[in-house]
Amino acid sequence: MPVSLVVVPDPRVRSDDELARALQAGVEWAVAETWQRFAPGVTVFARRALGSEAEAEDIAQEVFYRVFTRSKTLRAPEKLRSFIFSFAIRVVRTELRRKKARAWLSFHRPESLVDLGAGLTDMESRDLLRRFYALLDRLAPRPRLVFVLRQLESMTVEEVAAQMELSISTVKRALSHATTKLSRWIEADPGLAGFFNEKGWR
Amino acid sequence: MKASGERDGQRKLAALAELARGSARSPTSEELDGGLRAVRARIDAGTARRRAVVGWSLAAGVAMVAVVAVGIIRSGRVGNHGTSPAIAYRVEGGSLVDGGYLRESGHDGVKLLFAEGTEFALMPGTRSRLRTVDAAGARIAIEHGKASFKVTPSTDHRWQVDVGPFLVTVTGTVFTVAWDATTEKFELNLRHGRVTVSGPMTGGEIALRAGQRLTVDLPEGETVINEAKPEPPTEEPPAERPSGALDRSATRTPAPAPRAGAADGDRRWAQALAAGHLDGIIAEAERAGLKTTLEKASSEDLLALADAARYRRRMDLARDALLAERRRFPDSPHALDAAFLLGRVEEATDGGLARAVEWYDAYLTRAPKGTYASEALGRKMTLTSKLEGSSRARPVAEEYLRRFPNGTYAGPARAFVRSP
Repeated sequence: MPVSLVVVPDPRVRSDDELARALQAGVEWAVAETWQRFAPGVTVFARRALGSEAEAEDIAQEVFYRVFTRSKTLRAPEKLRSFIFSFAIRVVRTELRRKKARAWLSFHRPESLVDLGAGLTDMESRDLLRRFYALLDRLAPRPRLVFVLRQLESMTVEEVAAQMELSISTVKRALSHATTKLSRWIEADPGLAGFFNEKGWR
Repeated sequence: MKASGERDGQRKLAALAELARGSARSPTSEELDGGLRAVRARIDAGTARRRAVVGWSLAAGVAMVAVVAVGIIRSGRVGNHGTSPAIAYRVEGGSLVDGGYLRESGHDGVKLLFAEGTEFALMPGTRSRLRTVDAAGARIAIEHGKASFKVTPSTDHRWQVDVGPFLVTVTGTVFTVAWDATTEKFELNLRHGRVTVSGPMTGGEIALRAGQRLTVDLPEGETVINEAKPEPPTEEPPAERPSGALDRSATRTPAPAPRAGAADGDRRWAQALAAGHLDGIIAEAERAGLKTTLEKASSEDLLALADAARYRRRMDLARDALLAERRRFPDSPHALDAAFLLGRVEEATDGGLARAVEWYDAYLTRAPKGTYASEALGRKMTLTSKLEGSSRARPVAEEYLRRFPNGTYAGPARAFVRSP
């Protein structure tokens, strides 16, 4: 009896397109591969956007829960990455709005529990991060997200516009608004000035 | 002028963005595996995550006592301490809501009572969040307000309190903390035991002993340690002192140490330091002449001067004082302390990380079981990673875990050991 050897391709070498189709077809390996391929990026984005590793874990799980349960709504399999990051942006935006609402209800300015940079060795850097995210907390969710995507995720304005489903001019206005506000707040913060001097960032 | 200020602001903003970009690490393979398991479990359970955006406010008037059984805080923020169950605890006077926030149900504050006897009491109006609870202890964040803590002494548990931008680490103690997010003022009153505090303006970690009060005024850039009236030590802290301590009181006798070669009588800088007169100490040393002071001051005063200089970020002066301590009193216990503190000074100095490692090595060689051994080894591990990469830090991490499995740096050490 002839024996044939069937070699199943390694999921890691599958294209995003193939992966998306497998995901929609409910193929077993697709969930794990999608997670392994995209969860690190989503987690890092959430960490940068929120300043919190603990919260980013929640966000990543929420994003992929939605991705996996709604994968059939993906119309263009070749845009799997964009599909996932659009969920990520929506979930982070919802989280930021939730924080704003909570802060409003409790009559306090929202403050991040910043645990980003726990591995940093110097207190100054950790404190700078906390202060940086305290300033980001003062921004509205949309300009904050635009700023994060443009400046921390290094997306182009066009990419930000596409991901956030905004016009390019709206993104530019939001970016300008965020940059101007943050720059002014930084200059007006004497504590920050001291830390900049400490680190030689003048 | 305004345009120039904005340009400066934009440059600093770019620097901050760069810092934030570089500080977000990728999840470890273990974290990814855990995350995937959690997502699969949710899919299997078919439960959508419920998020109460504003709904919690509707229930704000409902008084309740929430009894929370072992271990599970929503949102997956429960730490994983091996496979051991988390410490059981209950919430009185409020409830735990989405995100770990503690919602007060009445006007008497909220209490967290842990099964092993530790109590957290949050004063009315305090905004706080329970971040993690696991077998090793808990971590709570005080975002605004005041809280008191009574931590049962134990070498098996570790408790951490984020107070605004400060981190308080305790193993067994009674203290209160307050943080005003509006005025950015921090205060800690330590009744029993010991704690370490790190954060802005603390110049590294500060260890406090019973009866001391630390206040930090961030806008004023002022850090003051006052000697309050201590209470009798009815509750002894555990044998293991918190690592990272800068407090040498444990190794000093309460009475002033013999003054070897003391300069012009009693300067009593140690007492002045405890009273928070940092600038006064430095000014007095400068009036007397720094060279003269370094040559003639007592061992105690040199250490007090070094501390004052460190807290005021006068690292050159701190270094000179510590080197003088080692040169003039080479056989004193303080000479060993000075080696460790020189490491801290070098860490805070541009380009000083390699020298810091050398000082930590020097300390560990001479005092492998010394007061600062855990901290010195932890700092060495961290700096080795920074200087030479995580693979070179791994042997140091392994040694750390072998010697201090419950130490302050045990978490990062495990991460180094696990890293590929």
